[in-house]
Amino acid sequence: MRELELYFGPQHPGMVGNFSITLKVEGDRVVEATSNPGFLHRGFEKLMEYRSWTQNFPLVCRLNVMDPDPYEMVYAMGVEELAGIEVPPRARYIRTIVLELSRIASHLFWAWGYANMLGFDTLGQWSMGDRDYILDLFELLTGGRVYHIYIWPGGVRRDLPQGFEERTLQTLEELAGRLPDYDDVFFENRIFVSRARGTGKVDRDTALALGATGPVLRAAGLKYDTRKTEPYAAYQDLEFQVPTRQQGDSYCRAMVIREEIQESIAIVRQCFEQMPEGPAFHRPPNPFKWKIPPGETYVRIEGARGETGAYLVSDGGNKPYRIHFRSPSYPHGILLLEELLKGASIADVGHIMMSLNIAAPEIDR
Amino acid sequence: MGSEEQLKGKVEDRFESARATIQRKQRLLITLDRDALASLLLFLKSEGLAHLAAISCVDWLEQGTFQLTYHVASYSEGIHAMVEVNVPREKPKFISIVPIYKHAQTYEREIWEMFGVEFEGNARLVPFLLDRWQNTPPMRKDFDTRQYVHETFGVEERRQKTEEV
Repeated sequence: MRELELYFGPQHPGMVGNFSITLKVEGDRVVEATSNPGFLHRGFEKLMEYRSWTQNFPLVCRLNVMDPDPYEMVYAMGVEELAGIEVPPRARYIRTIVLELSRIASHLFWAWGYANMLGFDTLGQWSMGDRDYILDLFELLTGGRVYHIYIWPGGVRRDLPQGFEERTLQTLEELAGRLPDYDDVFFENRIFVSRARGTGKVDRDTALALGATGPVLRAAGLKYDTRKTEPYAAYQDLEFQVPTRQQGDSYCRAMVIREEIQESIAIVRQCFEQMPEGPAFHRPPNPFKWKIPPGETYVRIEGARGETGAYLVSDGGNKPYRIHFRSPSYPHGILLLEELLKGASIADVGHIMMSLNIAAPEIDR
Repeated sequence: MGSEEQLKGKVEDRFESARATIQRKQRLLITLDRDALASLLLFLKSEGLAHLAAISCVDWLEQGTFQLTYHVASYSEGIHAMVEVNVPREKPKFISIVPIYKHAQTYEREIWEMFGVEFEGNARLVPFLLDRWQNTPPMRKDFDTRQYVHETFGVEERRQKTEEV
């Protein structure tokens, strides 16, 4: 059979984010896949070496438009560690709320992309609508819907506004009420289950060898969650489950993400119940005169897609000497994706890609 | 004795050039001669640090070295070790650790592209994020972004007067 070369992206209605995969196909089967990232390379790591510690804080969220708060968080955590800044208890809880709301919004965004890849548009129409209510909450809290610029070294930028708790709990209550409908229409849908079961299957050892983290690894049987192994923000005081599955296929990944939405709602509710009093931030130093002693650190948190980390190096100056972001989609989108696409049918290419929840902007930075 | 202390002891016992510092809970910083890196990574992997989180490169222009930092961590205990070696800037060549961690391939590929460090044994040192880049590897400290913009796109003429529109 003749071998053809097809391009999935960067211009493709099914491509989420600016990313490209070159496919060598024989008939309906993919023989070889090559990921081509780089369309969203904005050079953040170099840019940040030219800007002060404070100037960099509005830049970091832009590393991943779908789940921006983890990057604000790792930047803040890294700077706090290097500079020896403490975070007040109330800020820890507020950060947890923001991070979990971001996780919910990211998972709802994922639901749109994933179901669309399977040709099922209804779920995305619902989930993007529900995500909009979460974005409204962010707008109330931070002034911005998508990029929040809220978690900064020392805490969060301002305290919770009037009515935020009430509105958040109400929004989450409504979302929780809709999740059974999501299950009815999609997650328990026979067609979805039969398409997703067995597709894009990765066994635990391959997942480990190729650097998988987050829902991808948890769907393959390893219960690894940074919120449990290295608790940050308020997670050590909170009770929550870490959904895990065993088969490592697209269905398992989808179910892990679906179950995480419910866990995140429970975490946010607990945060409001246990919210301590006190300031929302410790006053940051004068941005024009802020120098951080020499040192280096690696900080990691659990983003919606997996381990999100930052390696910061300070040489004693007022700018980072080196900052390197570790994004979860980096290993998923290159070697793991190329591996899982081997032997897949063309119809499943987008489906497998979305089941890994690859975010192109965080690969390229 | 905590696991960090145990690990520090074992590393310093077995690897002559290794110096391990416990930065804080769950964080070790290990520096050593680059010849011993592969053995150390294999040892750490056998001790449970089987997760390669990332490989970073730092350009110490004044000292004339590229620092390569290997971030390895334990899935179960959350212990993270930053293993650092230095490679001379004049001859930026090192071994690939793909045989130990398969997905190191992508990190090494990016460091090759952005810093110009060659990793012997990495079969995929081909362009990654940059498009037909012919210039100095851009993450190097001696690559000036402003100068590059001026040379490539020309210098913008300063507007001499403003006009009402």
